[in-house]
Amino acid sequence: MTHAHFSLDGQTDVVIRRSFTHPPARVWRALTEPALIRQWLSPDLTQCQMDARPGGSFRYDWPEFYFSGPVLDARAPEHMVHVEHFNGDTTQGPTVTTTLAADGKGTRMTVVMRYKDAAARATAIEQGFTDGIDQVYARIEGLSFPS
Amino acid sequence: MSPLDAPFSALADPTRRAILARLAQGEATVQDLARPFAISQPAISRHLKVLEDAGLIETRILGTSRPRRLKPDAMETLWTWLGQYRALWEDQFQRLDAVLDSLDDSPEGPKP
Repeated sequence: MTHAHFSLDGQTDVVIRRSFTHPPARVWRALTEPALIRQWLSPDLTQCQMDARPGGSFRYDWPEFYFSGPVLDARAPEHMVHVEHFNGDTTQGPTVTTTLAADGKGTRMTVVMRYKDAAARATAIEQGFTDGIDQVYARIEGLSFPS
Repeated sequence: MSPLDAPFSALADPTRRAILARLAQGEATVQDLARPFAISQPAISRHLKVLEDAGLIETRILGTSRPRRLKPDAMETLWTWLGQYRALWEDQFQRLDAVLDSLDDSPEGPKP
């Protein structure tokens, strides 16, 4: 059983580390193929587009909000950089760098979410990334969060 | 300004995180706190002021001594948020594990 390791780095970064028992090529597929993304990101997705190539873009739609943005860089199966805007607000949103490193037969994934400043990061954390995500998860999966 | 700006900004510094880790073991004076660090007591005092202004620690008055200690409420607030954050991600990752397991059975290509 592996667990996500979550940390704050410097003033602007949120870093998430997670290991998988499958090799990077397989993890890359799950992270970049829309049919697979749908299976793990959220059961509530209404639309899922991902073009994981430099100059590509993505868009994930929930019933009441969406995330979208450009794919700045992608090198299968180990490196991707994209920007994550909420509801089309291109003035905000972190730049997300995902790195997959082979580790034996498995993969070590590092996701660095870089916000424009410390205040933007604090706001994102405070909102649990977004209130919308919290609501969706709470409703769909009955997760209970401490108040 | 968000109410969390100050605590997260205060936590961005490694010395201040180390001070908090020390205080998590119990209250300590400036002299106690300065000992393990290669910096002066005035520098430690400045870090303590940042932590106190951020609402993470408080000063107790004990005769002529001024031990610092964690403010339980403040840390609880931070951990609540961090825990919520982790729960969301971990839940997604467990579903991702299941997707990866399913790919084992069909390594020849993407599912329709």
